[in-house]
This record gives sequence, structure tokens and C-alpha cells, in this order.
Amino acid sequence: MKLRLLYTRSNVSNPVLSDIVLKTGVPINILEAKVSLNGGEMVVDVPATGVKLDEVRELFEKASVSAKEIKAVIEIDYERCISCGACVSPCPVQAITQKTEWDVELDEGRCIRCLICVNACPVRAIRSP
Amino acid sequence: MTEQVGAETLRTYEQINEKIKVGDAIVVTADEFVAHVQDRGLDTVAREVDVVTTGTFGAMCSSGAFLNFGHSEPPIKMFKCWLNDVPAYKGLAAVDAYIGATAMSESEGFDYGGGHVIEDLVSRKEVELRAEAYGTDCYPRKAIETTIVLDDLNQAVLVNPRNAYEHYNAATNSTDRILYTYMGTLLPDYGNVTYSGAGQLSPLYKDKNFETIGIGTRILLGGGIGYVIGEGTQHSPQNEFGTLMVRGDLKQMKPRYLRGATYYRYGTSLYVGVGIPIPIINLRVAESAALPDDQIFTNILDYGVPSRSRPAVKKGSYADLKLGKVVINGRSIPTSPLSSFKYAKEIAEALKAWMKEGLFFLSRPAELLPNQREFKPLEVRRHELRVKDIMTAKVTTAKPNDDVRTIASLIVRNGVDHVPIVDDDNRLVGIVTSWDLAKALAQGKSKLEEVMTTKVITAQENESGDVVARRLAQRNISGMPVVDDARKVIGIVTTDDLAKLLRKWKE
Repeated sequence: MKLRLLYTRSNVSNPVLSDIVLKTGVPINILEAKVSLNGGEMVVDVPATGVKLDEVRELFEKASVSAKEIKAVIEIDYERCISCGACVSPCPVQAITQKTEWDVELDEGRCIRCLICVNACPVRAIRSP
Repeated sequence: MTEQVGAETLRTYEQINEKIKVGDAIVVTADEFVAHVQDRGLDTVAREVDVVTTGTFGAMCSSGAFLNFGHSEPPIKMFKCWLNDVPAYKGLAAVDAYIGATAMSESEGFDYGGGHVIEDLVSRKEVELRAEAYGTDCYPRKAIETTIVLDDLNQAVLVNPRNAYEHYNAATNSTDRILYTYMGTLLPDYGNVTYSGAGQLSPLYKDKNFETIGIGTRILLGGGIGYVIGEGTQHSPQNEFGTLMVRGDLKQMKPRYLRGATYYRYGTSLYVGVGIPIPIINLRVAESAALPDDQIFTNILDYGVPSRSRPAVKKGSYADLKLGKVVINGRSIPTSPLSSFKYAKEIAEALKAWMKEGLFFLSRPAELLPNQREFKPLEVRRHELRVKDIMTAKVTTAKPNDDVRTIASLIVRNGVDHVPIVDDDNRLVGIVTSWDLAKALAQGKSKLEEVMTTKVITAQENESGDVVARRLAQRNISGMPVVDDARKVIGIVTTDDLAKLLRKWKE
């Protein structure tokens, strides 16, 4: 699951993420991070489910770091998409594929939000919400 | 075979049109034709099938539309004109203009261009027209600002100087940074391969000897009726790079098959749908129409080389490329198309359906297109600065196991900022800058090899000054060693050299 973490001025200097990784053993992966003295925002991938995932989310809550699930990592507007494939091979993790009829499919689980596809799309059919 | 080019030995245009009229014509798409011929042989299938339909849908930069706005009251002889802030060509009569696909909006730049204007016009959206004039006795008005929609215009004619490339080179990138090109996004270190063209559906492969396609051939263009009006620019049929010049009435076209596009950090373009019927008039045409993807080849070129002649990394067929992976240097590399196979197929199917319903008839060309054409480069005849004109040939170099202190004093003595590190054969192995040496001294390092940068950005003596200046800026560095093919150091080019040049040029 991908989470958007919001740090405040008071907890931005705490090693919240590292503590949770050590405590739970879940190898949380940072996809995006913007940090300043006034707070911070991170997008992370948490490769866990069920009880383990709940544990991670509770620990963020306990540390006063807001952790909201990101449902759509990128959005493909199929009304605009021309099924060309310009976004497919530039995806560094092969999260976008073309099947037999050349329709473009996104595997959200693999996506790392690098947004290369957003710029690669010649008809601006891919957006990051 | 001694038959003349274009010989109608299997059937004539009149016979086919007669069959279309009564609904008896046998029309198949190129995909279907390829499969039928593989199953039952060329001779049998060529005798049955009257027409093979083709299609392609890709970014075709040499596209645009002639527009006639009509005359305002009082009238204006437009000298400059913009559509949604995109400049249109006005070197024509008072209210005629040509909007080209790659012209870019003066306010939005890369995000909106002539291709988008054409898509918006065909979508029946309002488009802002702004024009300026110097005013004449017969055309007194000096400025105009209004909106237009497609149906207001007297004429709106798509006239594309180069469409439907027979095939195109595929692209990859050997460098260590992402390239944004007209071949799309190319990841570093051969990270991916992009390709274009419709393979076995491509119109010009299906009549590769140009026996049926010529001036006056009726085609499907942007979802409406269009015509071939000649060979396209850069037509090079002997290299399987044939192209077409086409025209069609914009008012009949559909936005689905004319799509404005942006290639990131490259520019705007227009995706154009082209479908061409190939009448199976003789066996040679049938043989060409039966060419399968695994017999249509293209070169994968390295777009990391900023030159007109880019080296081919590998040759592959469209069948290979369509698999989604090719092997380069022993690694499996993802491939993906830039033009839409889905739409290409849809266009071939639509053309087939029109003929089955008696809505589309064939035209015999007034003149066939040449099947030989020289493709000439542009020679730069003015003297252009090359690296060898700018570089400093006397270079201060050092060896990897030289002492940091010795070289530091050498730098001070010679007044240089960059010291290339070479082996005993003068081959480049690294570089240190005055900053590296200051740091090394502060940290108490003693040998150059402990502090040198081993991944050195270099230049070659015949590269143009422009390209090298761009490389320095892109890499955010202030100098590069100039090396020969054996990586021996023959000079150095720095931002100081460029600054000196600029001063000289100003004087």
C-alpha cells in the first residue's frame, strides 16, 4: 500500500520512519520526500498487509504523523488515450504494459510514482492526482 | 516478370469499382491478407482478393492546414496571425493562412501547438483568431481579434507535406542521462527502445514498388476522404523510407483521427490517421501486400549520438519489436511503439467497411510516384567553429600516482583549473579540478588516484562548438578534455575558452 505521510514542525526531526521499520521489520520504501524545518511530506510504499499493515499505520498515528492511503498513483484517461505505447517502455519498473489489442494497462502495485509516463504521454492522458 | 509497372493484369480499377457498387468486392485488411497468403499461398489469394486496406496512426510533424477566414468589415490584409496564440504562416494572400502542426503557442509553449489547434477546429471548438496588419489603401484595418469555428471558414484543407513514412528507425540511448526526443522518452544505458510505423499494416510497404499509389489516389485521411497529391518530402523509396504528400477537407474529418500531441521537451505535433486501399492489380502488388511483420526490418539507432548519422545498435523486424523486448549487449530491453497499432487497425477496418457498403471507390492515379529518389543532406558551407578551433592544445596532464601537492603547485604555476589524468600512453583515465585538489589537501590525501573523477565527460575535435557548449551547460561543468578515437588527450576545452571567443566575437 502507498501512504502519504505528513510531518509537522514538531515531529519532522524525529526518526519516525526508521523507528517503525526497525520495530515492525517492514522494509518501507520512500518514493518521494519533501522536508523542511516547518514539516514534511513523503510518499512511501509499505509492502505489508493485514495485521502488519495495521501495526505500521497505528505507529505513524502514535508518532502524530498523518498517514493517508493513496488510492490512485497515476490516472489514465482512457477517453484521451490513443493506445500508442509511448508510456510503456520508458516505465522503469514495467508497471505499464500493452496487451494483445494494444490497450495500455497500469499495475498500481508496481508503480513507484516516478511520473516519467506523465511526461512521456504525447496526448496528456496520464495524470498524477 | 516483364509486366510494366502498374500493369492491371489481375483486375482493373473499373472492374473493382463495379464490384464495390454492387457489393461484391472482396476487401480484406493487410493483417488478414498476410494471414490468408500464409495459409493458402499467394497465387490463390491474389486471384480472390480485390483490395487490401492499410492503416497507420502516428505523429506526423509535417502536417498542417490551409485556412481561409473570409473578409472582415473593413477588410484586413493580415500580416501576422495567431490561432489560440499559435502563430500561423501568413506569407499568403490577405486572409489565407497555414497552421503547421509544430508551431507552438506563444503563451503555453510545448503544451499547445498547431496540432492542437487542428484537433480543436475538427472538434468544432471555438478558436481565437488574432491578426495584425500594416494597413493599406485597399485593406485599411490594422488589427482584428475574434473567434472562429471550423464551419465559419470558407476552406479548411489539411495539406501535409510528409505523411505515412513507409517505416521509421527505432531509437535507444547509450548515454547516462534521460533523453527526450521526437522518438519519446529514452532511458539511460539502453534502458528502452521506442519505434514507430505500422509494420505489416503500413500503407507504403503494401505497395512498395509504387504501382498503385500516385497523384490522385483516393485515401482515408483523418477519418474523412483525402487524396495523395505527390511524393512526400524526403521520399526515399529505395531505402524503404517512402513518404506521401496528402490533402483532405478538414470539415469532413474526425477528431479521433487527428490528435494534437506534445513530445516532452521536443515540441508539438499531430497524430494523423491515414488509410490507403491497395488494389491487387497484379501479382507483384499482391506479393508486396503480403509482406509480414517478420520481413519488415528497421534499425535501432543510438539517439545518444547528437549527429545526423547515428550508429545502428541492432537491426530488428517489426515482429521482434512487437514482442515488447529485444536483446542489446546481452540484456533484455523493453520496447514499445509510439504510433498506435490499435488505431492503425481500426483505420484499415473502417476503410474496408466503407468499401463493403459502397461508400468508397478507387481512383486510378494520374501519375505514379517515383520509386527512386536521392536523399541529400544539408552541407554547412559557412565556416563553423569546431572544438579544434576553440580548444587549448597545450594541456597540463598528470599521472594517477602523482603527488597531490606537486600537482597543486603545477596548477598554480600554469594557471589552469582542470588537469586530465593520463596513463603512460597519454590515454585519459581521470580528471582533477583545482577544487578537487583543495579538498584533497584539506583532507590530507596524497595520491591523485584517490581524489580524481574517473567518469570523465569528453569532447572530440571535430564536434561543433554549439554541441560542446550545450554539453558543458547540461553537465554543469567548466571544462572537458578533448580526446581522439583511442582516448588519447589532444587538448582541453573550457568555459574560459568559450568566454574568450565571445569577447572576440563582440569586438
